[in-house]
Amino acid sequence: MTSISLRNIQKTFGKDTQVIKDVNLDIADGEFCVFLGPSGCGKSTLLRMVAGIEDVTAGELRIGNVRMNEVPAAKRQVAMVFQSYALYPHMSVYENMAFGLRQAKVDKAEIDLRVREAAQILQLDPLLERMPRALSGGQRQRVAIGRAIVRSPNVFLFDEPLSNLDAALRVHMRAEISRLHKKFNHASAIYVTHDQTEAMAMADKIVLLRAGTDMSKYGSVAQIGTPMDLYHRPSNRFVAEFLGSPRMNFLAASIEGSKESGLTLRLMSGETLNVPFLDRGIKTGTTVTLGIRPEHMYPVSANTPDCRLTRPVRQVERFGEYSYVYLNGDSSDTLIAKVSGDCYANSSEAMSLGFDPQNCHVFDEEGLALPRIGAANSSR
Amino acid sequence: MSSTITSGSSTAASGRSLLVRVLIPVLGLFWLAVTTLPFIFVTMTSLKSQQETFVTSGWSLPQSLNFENYLAVLNGGFWTYLRNSVFVLVLSIVLIIVISSMAAYAFARLRFRLNKPLFGLIVAGMIVPIHITLIPIYLLTRNIGLYDTPFALIGPYVATALPVSIFILTEFMRQIPKELEEAAKLDGCGTFGVFWKVFLPLSGPGLSTVAIYNGIGLWNEFIFAYVLTSTPAYRTLPLAIWDFQGQYASNIPAILTVVTLTSLPLIVAYAFGQERIVKGMMAGALKG
Repeated sequence: MTSISLRNIQKTFGKDTQVIKDVNLDIADGEFCVFLGPSGCGKSTLLRMVAGIEDVTAGELRIGNVRMNEVPAAKRQVAMVFQSYALYPHMSVYENMAFGLRQAKVDKAEIDLRVREAAQILQLDPLLERMPRALSGGQRQRVAIGRAIVRSPNVFLFDEPLSNLDAALRVHMRAEISRLHKKFNHASAIYVTHDQTEAMAMADKIVLLRAGTDMSKYGSVAQIGTPMDLYHRPSNRFVAEFLGSPRMNFLAASIEGSKESGLTLRLMSGETLNVPFLDRGIKTGTTVTLGIRPEHMYPVSANTPDCRLTRPVRQVERFGEYSYVYLNGDSSDTLIAKVSGDCYANSSEAMSLGFDPQNCHVFDEEGLALPRIGAANSSR
Repeated sequence: MSSTITSGSSTAASGRSLLVRVLIPVLGLFWLAVTTLPFIFVTMTSLKSQQETFVTSGWSLPQSLNFENYLAVLNGGFWTYLRNSVFVLVLSIVLIIVISSMAAYAFARLRFRLNKPLFGLIVAGMIVPIHITLIPIYLLTRNIGLYDTPFALIGPYVATALPVSIFILTEFMRQIPKELEEAAKLDGCGTFGVFWKVFLPLSGPGLSTVAIYNGIGLWNEFIFAYVLTSTPAYRTLPLAIWDFQGQYASNIPAILTVVTLTSLPLIVAYAFGQERIVKGMMAGALKG
């Protein structure tokens, strides 16, 4: 059993600098969990607490149902891949990979077998006698992963392992790490990144963390769920804004009326539209925020009966396959629509964009998502 | 207008570069003279007879290559002094490296309450002139029964070398990435394991610096050797000059022969180790 459980985890540096607040999380056996969030949200700190190289200020950390708060790093059966690789510069690739096993007093023949097996999986065989300084970034990263694999840990921890690699190598290594995790699926993995693409591509489960005053007010965890959960059903505005590129469009609106079929919203520009959300007791006239992802908007004619917004085009960016159309928002914000590459829009002309109300999101004044009709209520 | 400004600034720049091109070689030659002329003087004089030093100018070349002084020195107590010097030096350097590297690791990496004050206190030890410690050290050495023994010099040598050695190694170890320490802990190393298997091997250049820097100082050390030993059997090389220094006369060429022979190992060591000394001294000054 290598499940990981975090209960009310807190981390404070010094007397009052809180970086982690109220983290409750369960990572199942063999699950690939990604900690995602902006800089300073404490995702690396949380990972280091699981690793045992950072103390847990309060709360309980369990790995395989055993309390780990007081267990030293070496005895937690975890292996970590660092952002800077952290290869020992005075040891060859072989020695780097064998070091942990030698510390554990594993038999010499067994060490040799395991190192060579891992080297073969990672195509490091010809590099075993080289020193780390004679390796490229990608090769060093593979050695760092190899060093983790040979120990057959219960938990793999990755601290932004791809951020020092170039774009092409990142994509390659991303697939490689996912492949390796499936191969060693007895072990759970926690992967820290600030890159939402990595998180979406690799995760079974994403833990989106927040920083600053929101963290102090609501706790560190903004939402936990599968990548598609977070993308399609963000529980608050922060999650909606963080995931997706370009980010979600937000339009201020007020509640005109509430029926069984949903809410009628009036935008600041005067347009009204019906969306399938419950009011959760919010009174008519209250200000809410309507969210629509750029990829959920499409060009329509000006007299279409669909939900639509008509705004002057500010700028168009063409990428061949698709284009980004920037339109004037209702306030200082710009609306962005991701449209097909063969859609021609001209700057300063008005453009009408339609959208399916099912793809909209509505957030209350606190930034909490209103419940969608027909969907399970999501909580903060 | 703009071309005038450009040409004016380029004239100023070329003037500065001319100054730099002339000044740097002149200063370099001056420093070369300051460092090599005394050595040339000492070597030349060691090849003269005592009589010759009285009748010729100090800077005149020897009339013939006279190795009598070298024979006299080598046939005297030189080898005993050399053996004592090597013994004291090796033991002192080993102790300095062991103690200072452990202390440096603690100051650079371990979190404990008195880390900064203790480090400050040790660094402050660098400004204490050794001469004011002479009498207490002499009394202490005599009281513990080490006066005029092969071990008399080791304690004071190690103690006086520790502040600068700890300072150099602490700065060096602070440059070693924290992730290596964390990786070693995850690999199963305890605090001593991290020090012994990761920090010590990675501190090679710093340890060499400390060894060479202190080695040069201790090889030439005179005052403690003079105060704490009295029998020729336990004296070190710098005291060999006393063999040629009488109450009323001194054999200058023989004394300078001792100086030349004493300097030779240092010159060889520096020739091979200068890169490491400079590297160690510069550690942390530049982003790697």
